[in-house]
Amino acid sequence: MLRPAGLWRLCLRPRTAGVSTENLGRRKVASAVPPRGGTSPRALNIFDRDLKRKQKNWAARQPEPMKFDYLKEEVGSRIADRVYDIARDFPLALDLGCGRGYIAQHLNKETIGKFFQADIAENALKNSLETEIPTVSVLADEEFLPFRENTFDLVVSSLSLHWVNDLPRALEQIHYVLKPDGVFIGAMFGGDTLYELRCSLQLAETEREGGFSPHISPFIAVSDLGHLLGRAGFNTLTVDTDEIQVNYPGMFELMEDLQGMGESNCSWNRRALLHRDTMLAAAAVYREMYGNEDGSVPATYQIYHMIGWKYHESQARPAERGSATVSFGELRQINNLMSRGEKS
Amino acid sequence: MSANGAVWGRVRSRLRAFPERLAACGAEAAAYGRCVQASTAPGGRLNKDLCAQEFEALRSCFVAAAKKTLKGGC
Repeated sequence: MLRPAGLWRLCLRPRTAGVSTENLGRRKVASAVPPRGGTSPRALNIFDRDLKRKQKNWAARQPEPMKFDYLKEEVGSRIADRVYDIARDFPLALDLGCGRGYIAQHLNKETIGKFFQADIAENALKNSLETEIPTVSVLADEEFLPFRENTFDLVVSSLSLHWVNDLPRALEQIHYVLKPDGVFIGAMFGGDTLYELRCSLQLAETEREGGFSPHISPFIAVSDLGHLLGRAGFNTLTVDTDEIQVNYPGMFELMEDLQGMGESNCSWNRRALLHRDTMLAAAAVYREMYGNEDGSVPATYQIYHMIGWKYHESQARPAERGSATVSFGELRQINNLMSRGEKS
Repeated sequence: MSANGAVWGRVRSRLRAFPERLAACGAEAAAYGRCVQASTAPGGRLNKDLCAQEFEALRSCFVAAAKKTLKGGC
């Protein structure tokens, strides 16, 4: 397992009793400016990465992993679409949090010369899907990339950054390993993901037990994502939202699928026990509040797709202030202006 | 998880029977859901045991369904 020698963690005591309700479901980004080349002074330790590795290993060892792959396959193919949209080929690419390689199976040898698959779970790397691109599997944590500066032409990441503790640092590391004029294409779960499940559990737990604890991990808001990408040094950002709604027979099937995907909760402040009564109550509330006419219940997955470029002189930059030659008032005569421009 | 996962397997199989039994208690579940949903309307407050009656009805129906399947199954 690759672990840099100087690995250390800022272990903040997780807030237990005093968790305010407004913060649940929204991830607040530390606003302090981080010192260059180090983790931010208030680096959060929200997730137990060890447990996440165990959960992903367990999920990858299931007898039928294809049963739970539908979401990651879909998002993987959307990311591959975005890679094809860029009219370039990439000799060296990295897939962060690749799982079983959902992006690589959609890409071809001409677009990507060599593909590095990085994940924290070795079982997922061992059971990877077939692809025609030559791949190298690396056991690496998204926050501690064992690569040199300016290595990769392309970095992709599909649905794994929402379990990262220090997201600003992870994005900075991605920026670091990219070559100038390299591109990062990522997909992350967004703020509204699984809101039906979150609300049902909150209501049921409040009614049954008098209080509630978070069972769904916090997701990032789209404005924070833009800020983080900018702060990490990326240019020409593109962030767009996709919503995938999947219908399930009931809440229990949804929870079973989430566990099969390896997406079980691993926050430090998770409650170890969920009473059967509460589960029953939450399933009833879910069906009543959000159920469809045919008896199934929907679950919303909100995906944020982001594209960011590393700076290079050849990239288009905004023009200098005061260098305009025509004013907006002359927009009516745009045809004349354009033919004038062509002649000169 | 223990070496052979016996306890986990037992608990999981019990949990897997939940959806079927819940399906048998559709009316009670809907009543409980409506009661909780009503408290989320503006001006409503959700306290502990606000819908205890409806939940008791749901739970007893659920337990009855469990007994029925147990008798029929094994």
